[in-house]
Amino acid sequence: MSADNTMDANREPTGTAPAAAAAAAESPAATTGKGGRVIIRTVGLKKSYLMKDVVTEALRGVDVEVITGEFISVMGPSGSGKSTFFNMIGALDSPTTGRVFIDEVDVAQLTAEELAYLRCHKIGYIFQSYNLIKYMTALENVTTPMAFGGVMPDEARERGMELLDIVGLKDRWHHRPIEMSGGQQQRVAIARSLANRPSVLLCDEPTANLDLRTGQEILDILQRLNTNQNVTIICATHDHRMMDICHRLMWIRDGQIERLARRDQVQIEVGSIGGETE
Amino acid sequence: MKQIHIAEQPWLGLGRTVRITADGIRYRLFRASVTVAVIAVAVAFLMNVLGESLIKRAVAKDTRERIAQIRLVYDWSARLTNPGSVESVLSDLAACQPGTERFREMQGLGGFTDARMTAFHQDACQGLRYIAFFGDLDYAKRRSAIHTARGIGIFERLRSEAGMKDFRTAMAQIKSVRFVTSFEDLEQFLGRTPQLLAEAQTVLDGRRAAIAQIGTVLAGRPVLEALADVDGAFGDVARKAGFILDTATEAGIVADQAKRLLDVIRLEKTMDSEKCRQLLAQQGNVMPADVNVMMMWKYLDSSRFSTRYLDRMQESGLATDGLSPERLVSLAEARKENTDLLRAEMLTLDAGRGFMGLGERLAWLLFVSMLVCGIGICNAMLMTVTERFTEIATLKCLGALDGFIMLMFVLESSILGIVGGCIGAVLGALIALGRMLVAFGIHFIGAMPATEILIGMAASVAMGMLLAAVAAVLPSYQAARLAPMEAMRIE
Repeated sequence: MSADNTMDANREPTGTAPAAAAAAAESPAATTGKGGRVIIRTVGLKKSYLMKDVVTEALRGVDVEVITGEFISVMGPSGSGKSTFFNMIGALDSPTTGRVFIDEVDVAQLTAEELAYLRCHKIGYIFQSYNLIKYMTALENVTTPMAFGGVMPDEARERGMELLDIVGLKDRWHHRPIEMSGGQQQRVAIARSLANRPSVLLCDEPTANLDLRTGQEILDILQRLNTNQNVTIICATHDHRMMDICHRLMWIRDGQIERLARRDQVQIEVGSIGGETE
Repeated sequence: MKQIHIAEQPWLGLGRTVRITADGIRYRLFRASVTVAVIAVAVAFLMNVLGESLIKRAVAKDTRERIAQIRLVYDWSARLTNPGSVESVLSDLAACQPGTERFREMQGLGGFTDARMTAFHQDACQGLRYIAFFGDLDYAKRRSAIHTARGIGIFERLRSEAGMKDFRTAMAQIKSVRFVTSFEDLEQFLGRTPQLLAEAQTVLDGRRAAIAQIGTVLAGRPVLEALADVDGAFGDVARKAGFILDTATEAGIVADQAKRLLDVIRLEKTMDSEKCRQLLAQQGNVMPADVNVMMMWKYLDSSRFSTRYLDRMQESGLATDGLSPERLVSLAEARKENTDLLRAEMLTLDAGRGFMGLGERLAWLLFVSMLVCGIGICNAMLMTVTERFTEIATLKCLGALDGFIMLMFVLESSILGIVGGCIGAVLGALIALGRMLVAFGIHFIGAMPATEILIGMAASVAMGMLLAAVAAVLPSYQAARLAPMEAMRIE
């Protein structure tokens, strides 16, 4: 595992959490040991909602960089601004102030068509409730993003079968979501998210609706993708097991990064964060 | 840092879009079928109304032709006995085209040259137009324009200086009505009216002379009896007197009809016979006193009863020469057909008026029903969109363009519209056919305008599709505008 190799080499003596977050955020490249370029960068990200004359600040200035090949877990209690942060870096919503760069492209500058292209080709989404299209078979679900991206049907079919093979569902390609278990559906969703070889996978609590065993299967697949195919993964989660496989952990609270740390740093004080993660 | 190129997302092909949409419809078949039912009912109503009006129009045309045929004998018996008036001569002439038999007959009776007859015909047409114009005016306007003059009296009044002055001031005041021709034309025409009336009088005199000639031949005999022989000796008499009778067809038809009428009269006289009444009373299980002509015609439908009836007639000492059971049956059938014709004529009096020949009320009703259907579809589509928020948002996350989402929903609605439209069109046409056949009788099955009904069905389907597509625009727009982050929301 690449993370293990880098741990010793990049170990930094760390003090309290905020200091560590700042230090880690400045040198993200150190976390994977593979080098790589910055895939997602946010600068002074702020988002506020106006609800019945009351301004709610969901995000109050988030600066973070994610590099290729990295596996980041984002944690935080509900209402912490975690979802808002996810919508921002997924190009699903626009920030009030600040900027989001995906693959060094400023999301705010894009037209609707370019945004659609970005969502289609650069980002793969994995949802908590799978969000498969109910009336399509597993294969059709996987090939739909390719069709949107302009891939020819035959080619899309071939690649769709490959992807289903990766998640271990090759023999169930013609099943509809309703005929599959939650774990299988989520595996199809993972295959779908990989359809157009995205730069980054955004997972929104991918294991929350699954039992321990199937959740573990999903985690294994994600880890395998990260390790073998160098897929960048950002994963919002409450799952403790995620901490074992990710490179960095990020805590969000009250719309700010409370703590951003490499996994090895967290392992040391696992007792103190236990209460926070769940 | 390497700059990554961001392109515009391409459009998904129409074929793929249709397939995705169709799959979606198949998945929610029950909801879709309810929407289809709404469209089907509306289109069925549209097609029913359209079909009935088309059928009515065709039946009206057919009826008018057939009634003109069955009335030939009445027409002829009137022509051979009643000369009419100056006005009826003018209206007869205006009603017929140059070169027809009626036209030539009038030319012969008046003794006009071709050129004079043509001028006479044109003047008659123009005069009739003026008379019709004043006839259409309401009472107050008519009174201020021409006082109490009617018919050809109008020309007389307009020819007087005071009358013309009244007419001109009235026309200047009545802004809503435009006179049929210019005033110059009217004045020129008025200058010719004495000649026109004199010519009409000549024709009338000719008719009188011819009728007198025929009267001497008839010598008191009813004209109907003579007409039964019109394809024989009596025809020659009529022709000699100046009436033009085409021997091959018209005379034959008239003679047949006259014979049939005579037979009908003979049969209806059997109501006076006690024995005949008794037979009918037995058959109908009523008192002999309650027997009527309608019952007789009803039972004469069967040849067995007709045979028995003929026997009774002989027993009563009534003449039965020329009558056979088959003849009685055919008379009864012809009578039934004529009754149907007359009823059809009455039912179709209003055919072909108003918007698309529907009449104001029905057109309005149709508009409202289409509106209600449109709102129903809109509601159903809004529900579908709400139900599919997650799906739509997910598709957008996967790279679907707003246009694709919009197209998907408009297409879905259109497909439902086509399916519902087809069902509705067939249903509506069947109901219209059934209802009209019941109303007019089976004799009109040949008069059904098949091509027009097919075109009407196609138009109904198109209308249903269009309605569904238009009704889906608002829900589709709402769906297209949906933020993709809705996909993150957990139900």
